[in-house]
Amino acid sequence: MKKSLSIALPSTLAIAALFIFLPFGSSAEFSFRSYSPEGKLMHSFAPYQWILQQPEFMSHLLLSFKLSLIAVAFTAILVVPSVAWLHLKAQSFRSIIEVVTILPLVIPVVALSIGVQAAFPDWLQSTEYELPLMYVILSLPFTFRILDNGLQAIPLKTISEASRGLGANWPKTIIFVIAPVMRSAVAGAFFLTFALSLGEFTLTSLLHWDTFPTWVTSVSQQNIIGAIALSVFSLTVAFVVLLLVGLFSSQTKKRTEVAE
Amino acid sequence: MKSGTLELIGISRRFGQTIALDNLNLTIGAGELVALLGPSGCGKTTALRIVAGLESSDAGVVKLKDRDVTNLSAHLRNMGMVFQSYSLFPNLSAVENVEFGLKMRKVEKGNRRKQALELLELVGLTTQSKRFPHQLSGGQQQRVALARALAIQPEVLLLDEPLSALDAQVRTNLREEIRRLQLSLGTTTLFVTHDQEEAMAISDRVGVMSNGHLEQIDTPDVLYNNPASTFVANFVGTMNHIPAEQQGDLVSIFGKSIRVKNPNGISGSVSVLVRPESIEVSRAAGSGNAKVITRSFLGASSQIICQTPEGAVIQALMPSNGSGDLHPGEDVALSVMLSEVLVAHV
Amino acid sequence: MINSYGSSKGVSRKGGTFARRNLIIALPLIPLIAYLAFFFFWPMVMVVTDSLKNNDHHWSFINFTTITHKPYSTAFKNSILLGALSALFASIPGAIFAYIIEVRGSEKLKGFVTSLSGVLANTGGVPLAFMFIATFGAQGSAIKILKALGIDLYSGGFTLFSFTGIVFVYLYFQIPLMVIIFSPALHSIRNEWRDAAKNLGATPRKFWRTIGVPLLFPSFTASFLLLFASGFAAYATARAMTVGNIALVPLVIGTLVDGNVQVDQANVGKSLAVGMVIVSALAMIPYLIIQRRARRWQQ
Repeated sequence: MKKSLSIALPSTLAIAALFIFLPFGSSAEFSFRSYSPEGKLMHSFAPYQWILQQPEFMSHLLLSFKLSLIAVAFTAILVVPSVAWLHLKAQSFRSIIEVVTILPLVIPVVALSIGVQAAFPDWLQSTEYELPLMYVILSLPFTFRILDNGLQAIPLKTISEASRGLGANWPKTIIFVIAPVMRSAVAGAFFLTFALSLGEFTLTSLLHWDTFPTWVTSVSQQNIIGAIALSVFSLTVAFVVLLLVGLFSSQTKKRTEVAE
Repeated sequence: MKSGTLELIGISRRFGQTIALDNLNLTIGAGELVALLGPSGCGKTTALRIVAGLESSDAGVVKLKDRDVTNLSAHLRNMGMVFQSYSLFPNLSAVENVEFGLKMRKVEKGNRRKQALELLELVGLTTQSKRFPHQLSGGQQQRVALARALAIQPEVLLLDEPLSALDAQVRTNLREEIRRLQLSLGTTTLFVTHDQEEAMAISDRVGVMSNGHLEQIDTPDVLYNNPASTFVANFVGTMNHIPAEQQGDLVSIFGKSIRVKNPNGISGSVSVLVRPESIEVSRAAGSGNAKVITRSFLGASSQIICQTPEGAVIQALMPSNGSGDLHPGEDVALSVMLSEVLVAHV
Repeated sequence: MINSYGSSKGVSRKGGTFARRNLIIALPLIPLIAYLAFFFFWPMVMVVTDSLKNNDHHWSFINFTTITHKPYSTAFKNSILLGALSALFASIPGAIFAYIIEVRGSEKLKGFVTSLSGVLANTGGVPLAFMFIATFGAQGSAIKILKALGIDLYSGGFTLFSFTGIVFVYLYFQIPLMVIIFSPALHSIRNEWRDAAKNLGATPRKFWRTIGVPLLFPSFTASFLLLFASGFAAYATARAMTVGNIALVPLVIGTLVDGNVQVDQANVGKSLAVGMVIVSALAMIPYLIIQRRARRWQQ
């Protein structure tokens, strides 16, 4: 039993690596393809040079970044304090909020998009800032759970009472006690909101907005290699940000472990 | 009676760089209850898990009734084990938990339900038999766990700190109940704990462990009154460390020479190990060798804490009715009521 | 009389302060609740009411009669099948993978797997579709390599732009999704239960049959149904991949919304959306039943 399992881990990891890197590696290969005038297949940086020559590339990328950052900001001021409050004082409301926040995952985004078109007033539908407001809703099932799980491991109520007992007022308690212990969970929630907003396609395209992902789809109709190069680019960015967040949160973890 | 002798011969186990067990030898007679006592990380739980077959040993032999079971799979060993906590299966009711082992042994349904209910009655939980673990208190859960371990009529009962997660009152009651059941069933039992009071209270013999080996194994009385090493003396009960000078095999303490039990042929500064109840405190206004700091009334006896002019703090335990006039600040004369003492070299 | 009056007054006052305390506690939650009400519940209510109106803005079931006929019924059949198959083929390997990582992996590896799964499950969408085209499309690298080895999948009838192809692509985000949502349940299986079962004479197989599987079954079903909902509703990947040869409800809604159809079908889109919500809600019923059964031994 033990022996069979000890081979199980490396072989599982090997399969997982293949699962991830076969499409990723193939796409990387594909993204360097170009054809000589005689129609011969070659590999070069041409597709990437082509991307950089598109004026829409930078404008759409910047727009997507901007909208994603706004979504993160809304998560920060709306979701983070609410979850902290649930753990501090409002434990009795936790289960109902938990159910409500899973709904955006169960209700199809396509259906929600239709509703947004029918419900929102024109002034809101005429600005692209309606998108980040909706991205917050779409990421809520994940952000709520990341924050909730993270806080479950921390006796937030006890430590904030201890801090207040030692003479700190509420603002000081929030800045010096609650915020630092929540750092790792908050980082995870921010990352998820950012990544989800950056890649969101369904709602954006059904509301007729043009961001980076929708632009990539329209590119594919005339230049499939370019679209694939853009896909490789965006997933690489996601992995790099993930690694950075991973480094950041493992450092916080170490620090809290020492503190214990 | 199914129970028999359990033997551990030369058991060793390492985890990476740490040595958990270093050539452990231990024999538990049929029907005997032996406790393994020691600080956390001393290897006592590893020893228990090796006996149960849940952990493998690097070297050594485990024998049950002269049968080598070292390589026998855990599920074939017929040893009942009670864990620290949370070991009841949450999806099974109390009675189904107790039945589990019998079901694995293919005991027929009506029969195993009857046996399980009998065991629940034995631990006083007849009315709770249909409840699920989360509906039971910590003490009740451990009773069910005990009934479950006994249901398979084990040749050996293994207890892995079963009381450590419980409240003080429940803990005392349950440990006495464990002992009562163990005596009436005559089951050979190995009990692992870090609580010396618990170990001393219910065991036939107690083995004190440190760093993967047995320091001493003896009856609670011998362990307390005649510890074989300073580690055992310190770990079992309360112990004073009184600074003194050793000359040859004599040590001078409070103006009296006493024979040293472990001389080692060294002379110089040592700590003399004396239990609080072996120190006599008497009033000696103006001519004492210590001052009273506090007196705590504990019921039949009182605890007196004194300090010598050199600064050593000494604890004494004496009958309450003779110590009522020992007020803080009082001059007292201390003396050791022993003819032989253990010393620790400093 | 006086006594009963006094006690009832006591009870009501106690109830009053309790309600007031609850209200004060709930106050800081109001922004989040209001936000959800405006940006989530209101749009959903609008979809439902509009779907119940005909083109003259009168109450009518006409839209729902329309969507039970072809081509809409086919789209529902395809989407339900796609959700179910992708959930089936993702939940089992996902659960096994999560189990091996849980039992054998170090804490560091577990954290890494969770984050990586988060990225794969959530940033999939459009890039995912193109990555699969680059790998398994007719010109894809994997297909070319296999061809060089003498295996020609495309001449064997395989194509990425088919129903099977889409199920295959969906696994790429469904398996990571399974890993994320199922791992916490595996984490709750205590080592003590494994040890206790072994000690009482159970082989690992018997442990799984009597303890492990019953304990994990509710979480597994919940995960499976969530995967179904995710596969059933996914739009981006399907939209980027298909050339319109497979009717799926989200794609049909997309075409209706894009406006290149007759105006009189505007509310059909809404009733299709309501139909999707109903299917997703129905999928949660077996989950509720299993949860109810499991509740007797859960805290």
